[in-house]
Amino acid sequence: MLQPKKTKHRKHFKGRMKGNAHRGSTIAFGSFGIKALDEIFITSRQIEAARIAATRYMKREGQLWIRIFPDKPITNKPAEVRMGKGKGALDHWVAVVKPGRIIFELDGVSSEVAKEALRLAAQKLPVKTKFVVRRDYVGA
Amino acid sequence: MKTIAIEGTLREELGSKSAKVMRREGNVPCVIYGGEENIHFYASEGSFRDLLYTPEAHLVAITAGGKTFKAVIRDLQFHPVTDALEHVDFLEVLPGKEVTILVPVNLVGNARGVRNGGRLKVILRKLRVRATEEGLPSMIDINIENLRIGQAVRVRDIENAGFEILNEPQRTIAAIQTSRTAVEDEDEEDEEGGEEATAEGGEAAEATAEA
Repeated sequence: MLQPKKTKHRKHFKGRMKGNAHRGSTIAFGSFGIKALDEIFITSRQIEAARIAATRYMKREGQLWIRIFPDKPITNKPAEVRMGKGKGALDHWVAVVKPGRIIFELDGVSSEVAKEALRLAAQKLPVKTKFVVRRDYVGA
Repeated sequence: MKTIAIEGTLREELGSKSAKVMRREGNVPCVIYGGEENIHFYASEGSFRDLLYTPEAHLVAITAGGKTFKAVIRDLQFHPVTDALEHVDFLEVLPGKEVTILVPVNLVGNARGVRNGGRLKVILRKLRVRATEEGLPSMIDINIENLRIGQAVRVRDIENAGFEILNEPQRTIAAIQTSRTAVEDEDEEDEEGGEEATAEGGEAAEATAEA
């Protein structure tokens, strides 16, 4: 699963997600992609599950790019512990996704295969998405 | 290079407030620069369809305020969520003055390496080209028919007449990668003499530009 190799700070503040994505909102590598329509934290497990769902359907054809990276640590307190006594221990990593962000990109497969592979991937994600195609794409 | 005509209306009010009203009415605010003065105008969103959703580069003949301007697209802005066109920048093309634009690459033919089970990987879809109005190509055709597994077409392999390519000469445009299903090329031994010449795949690919 994806996670940073090293970090500047072990624990982060929660933060707020305001506005739309301004970077990473256009297709850069492939011909097809899925775009997030809401703001959400996507965990590294969810990214991995979606990646597996898409690549299994593609059957080793084509190439997939993951355009988000889970670089935000999320902490959690153990069960049955009173509040206080400091911030909890690191639990998992998430990617901060704002509306408009491209999550996955695909290339090297037909439009139909890409659409179905990305539909299966989107089912593993906790966010509404839409299928997008490169502006100058011409079907093979 | 093909020319597409766009009918525009000069903007009376500038600023984001009037731009928002324009977008709500189905228009796109635009600007032309590079000439004597900057021209701010708007045009209906539908008039950009043939210009933007195509793999070819085009010249644009913009009519606004009773004058016609020849221009090329310089920058585009889309809404991050809805992908609606929000703003277009045009660069005016003046006679004899060179302009830099992105021209799409068109790979022609079924590569020999692909027929033998290799995979075609396209790395550069567009090339940065500098030329005057007459020399601007709408598309750069590259023949990859003789490209074998492990070979690549680079920027330096393109024969360019009338325009200059600004990308680094050693940049790869497309390459044939090997795959699990790849089979050995049967004619490889027969054409050993010719292979030396096509070691980099460079001379295997003939490139021409469609003006």
